[in-house]
Amino acid sequence: MADKTAKKGGRRAVVVGGLRTPFAKAFTDLMELDTIALGVAAAEGLLRKLELPRDQIDAIVWGGVVLPPLSVNIGREIGLDLKLPASVEGMTVTRACASGLQAITSAASAIERGDADVILAGGSDSTSNATIAFPNKLTHTLAPIALSGKATAADILGALAQLMPLSEILPRQPRIAERTTGEVMGESAERMAQRNEISRQAQDELALRSHQRAAKAIATGRFDDEVTKVQTPKGFVHTDQLVRADTSAEKLAKLKPVFSKTGTVTAGNASPLTDGGAAVLLMSEEKARALGYKPLCALRSWSYVGVDPADQLLIGPAIAVPKALDRAGGLTLADMDIVDMHEAFAAQVLSVLKMLGSQAFAQERLGRNTAVGNIDPEKLNVYGGSIAIGHPFAATGVRMVTTMANELARTYKQFALLGICAAGGLGAAAVLERV
Amino acid sequence: MSDLLLSLSTSPLARRLVTSAKLPIPMPEKLARPSGPAVERFLEGTTALVAGDGALGSVLAHVLPRAGAKTLVASDALARVFAGPCEAFGRPLHMLAESDAQRTDKAHALVFDATRVTSPAELKRLYTFFHAYLPRLARCGRVLVLGRPAESANTLAQAAAYNALEGFSRSLAKEIGGKGATANLIIVAEGAEPRAAAVLRFFLSSASAFVSAQPLRVSAQAQWNGADAWERPLAGKVALVTGAARGIGAATAHSLAAEGAQVVCLDRPEDDEPLSQVARDIGGSVLLADVSASDSAASIAAQLKKTHGGVDIVVHNAGVTRDRTLARMQESGWDQALGINLEAVVRITEALLDGTLRDQGRIVSLSSIAGIAGNMGQTNYAASKSGVIGLTRHLARQLATRGITVNAVAPGFIETRMTAAVPMVVREAGRRLSALGQGGLPEDVARAITFLSLPGSAGVTGQILRVCGGALIGA
Repeated sequence: MADKTAKKGGRRAVVVGGLRTPFAKAFTDLMELDTIALGVAAAEGLLRKLELPRDQIDAIVWGGVVLPPLSVNIGREIGLDLKLPASVEGMTVTRACASGLQAITSAASAIERGDADVILAGGSDSTSNATIAFPNKLTHTLAPIALSGKATAADILGALAQLMPLSEILPRQPRIAERTTGEVMGESAERMAQRNEISRQAQDELALRSHQRAAKAIATGRFDDEVTKVQTPKGFVHTDQLVRADTSAEKLAKLKPVFSKTGTVTAGNASPLTDGGAAVLLMSEEKARALGYKPLCALRSWSYVGVDPADQLLIGPAIAVPKALDRAGGLTLADMDIVDMHEAFAAQVLSVLKMLGSQAFAQERLGRNTAVGNIDPEKLNVYGGSIAIGHPFAATGVRMVTTMANELARTYKQFALLGICAAGGLGAAAVLERV
Repeated sequence: MSDLLLSLSTSPLARRLVTSAKLPIPMPEKLARPSGPAVERFLEGTTALVAGDGALGSVLAHVLPRAGAKTLVASDALARVFAGPCEAFGRPLHMLAESDAQRTDKAHALVFDATRVTSPAELKRLYTFFHAYLPRLARCGRVLVLGRPAESANTLAQAAAYNALEGFSRSLAKEIGGKGATANLIIVAEGAEPRAAAVLRFFLSSASAFVSAQPLRVSAQAQWNGADAWERPLAGKVALVTGAARGIGAATAHSLAAEGAQVVCLDRPEDDEPLSQVARDIGGSVLLADVSASDSAASIAAQLKKTHGGVDIVVHNAGVTRDRTLARMQESGWDQALGINLEAVVRITEALLDGTLRDQGRIVSLSSIAGIAGNMGQTNYAASKSGVIGLTRHLARQLATRGITVNAVAPGFIETRMTAAVPMVVREAGRRLSALGQGGLPEDVARAITFLSLPGSAGVTGQILRVCGGALIGA
């Protein structure tokens, strides 16, 4: 077997710490905080916790999905709101639900390339503050009048007359629909459940386990080190708001399918629309040690892949995982001590797990002789996942890295595997290793 | 030139009037044709029923689920080979139950693998399967029967059974043609099974819309490197199409380019304008030459060598008709038809074989139904077109070791400038006297040529593929 500890090249990026806001259902406790404010809350808490001198930070890389149209570069805005030195530059990355992981791997790349020593990376999303867009027809018709400054009443009436029927100019409810196929993501998950023969019961079981494990993590204080309280105009939010310790198989079984009458995807076995933010601090290993930090983990490898969104939208991790393992220097799934798989939908997680365990999938789709492997449920999402904790799109990858980094640092585990599916038919995976 | 009956048949009202009044007017089905180049999941949303435990089960299993079809299989043996691919591509496998015959949802494809039949008595299974499920065949659906060459049979009974498949599928084609559906027989030699994959894809897809009632042989004769991309299969290939300014030639240039080929469009200098338009449309290049000129072959080869370093696909499409009964035919009519349709093909091919046509190359020539069946007033044309068949068979053997395949397509009635000039009565007869009851389009021939040009079509060589809608003549 290949050497499991050697790092190619000289520099290695390590995670020094991570922190997130509590996650809350959209339009509830965190509604007053926009994406930038949520990012600031997470980053501020992290910097306070790590007591890092702020002039040590070289840059910010921030992930966002539902970006505010007039301040798209939220990475820079967060830096300014944090009152960091103006010289700490900032950028924003976006790769749908893999945006958070993208921010972290972009930061790691920059550090390993020698572009920076210390980078604040993170991701946040406030679905409560998604801008409701007016159709382009309205904008295009009104723009000449708005821009000319000399429009007469007749001009305005003329323009309005062009805007009939009214239905074409009403603001549209934002939907998580694929641009190319028009399919809502839940419909994609529903089709994946059918195509991979994932039962309603299996989905509900996964959802139940997610809630039970997350509830236990909260109750035992496992998240205390990685979740910070957040102040809103209405008071403090201390813990995750979506986890239901009291849910049961019976309660989940009663829920009606959302996307098809005969379907299996329900509000209970899908991740909810969520507000939240998360941040991690990455450094070069030497810099971390020079500043007196004990690194939590390093990023051994990662991979991003694309599949046809019209086929199985969320199957990407089944292809990204073996690729990341290969890039980790010949590691196998069996080498992974713990696995964190983003739960967009239970149907999607179970489809990906089934394909990872499928010899036929390996042969037909990956060009390998043997299955990537089965994942022991005891190693998978041990502190719950996005179904229970919630899924503020770009914060999810950062949450996962934080929880896994802490797990590697506080146990004797060696490797953690991450898998994330994303809109557009994207898949992402990463291997974290103990330092 | 437009087909009135075909446009009538697309109107639901006219269709209902004609059928309810039992008028003796044929209502041909408008054929489903591809809207663009080949895509991997070309059977998305369709159902395929598969029966017969033959040697091609695993090839079918590697085509149908990946192409997106929901597959129902008739036996446990088929279920075993389909299980893996069905799982890998997320297409749950179903067993075909007797009650399925009563279902009303349509099946796009009925496939019977008869490669292991041993006697005429076993042909009864074809009857049972198609008798039960034919009512479920969708409009523009596909029937495929898979067999072996009769000469490869082990026993007298098996040889009889193998050849019986041809009469069966040809007849079935005529029975289902009214709904735009096709039936074809694929005869796969032992050892050539992997090469059947690309052939199956062509016959299952709408690219074969106008190919019906045909037997096509797949052999392991030509060398093959295993290349068989499902999308953009011609990327990196250089193709020469003669007579590319219009009609079938222009459609072929478009089709080859759509699959990724760099196309060199050749036609006479006086057709510079339409030829340049074709080349511009497809991002190809123009080569002006009169193929009947004795020195043109060498200069065509030299040009290809100079600008592209060689050529991978050669389509001999340039052709003329000079119709007259032999008694009235002038010498020039004979000379032109033979000179352009046959002598030029020989000359250009010989010139290209002298170091310009690359290994794994493809040669496709245009033959014609007239070349197979003969036609009144076409002694010259038919001679040239059946000459092409001889050339094709000879070259196929000669070039097999270099991995070069040589085939011909024989169009039936195709709606072109040439057939538009034919008298109305003859034209109507040409259209209707076929299983599909209509004329084909130049793009139908182009797609057959493109299929024969694919790297994955290495199993097809020395064959004459008719694109005739199951024409009743020349069988």
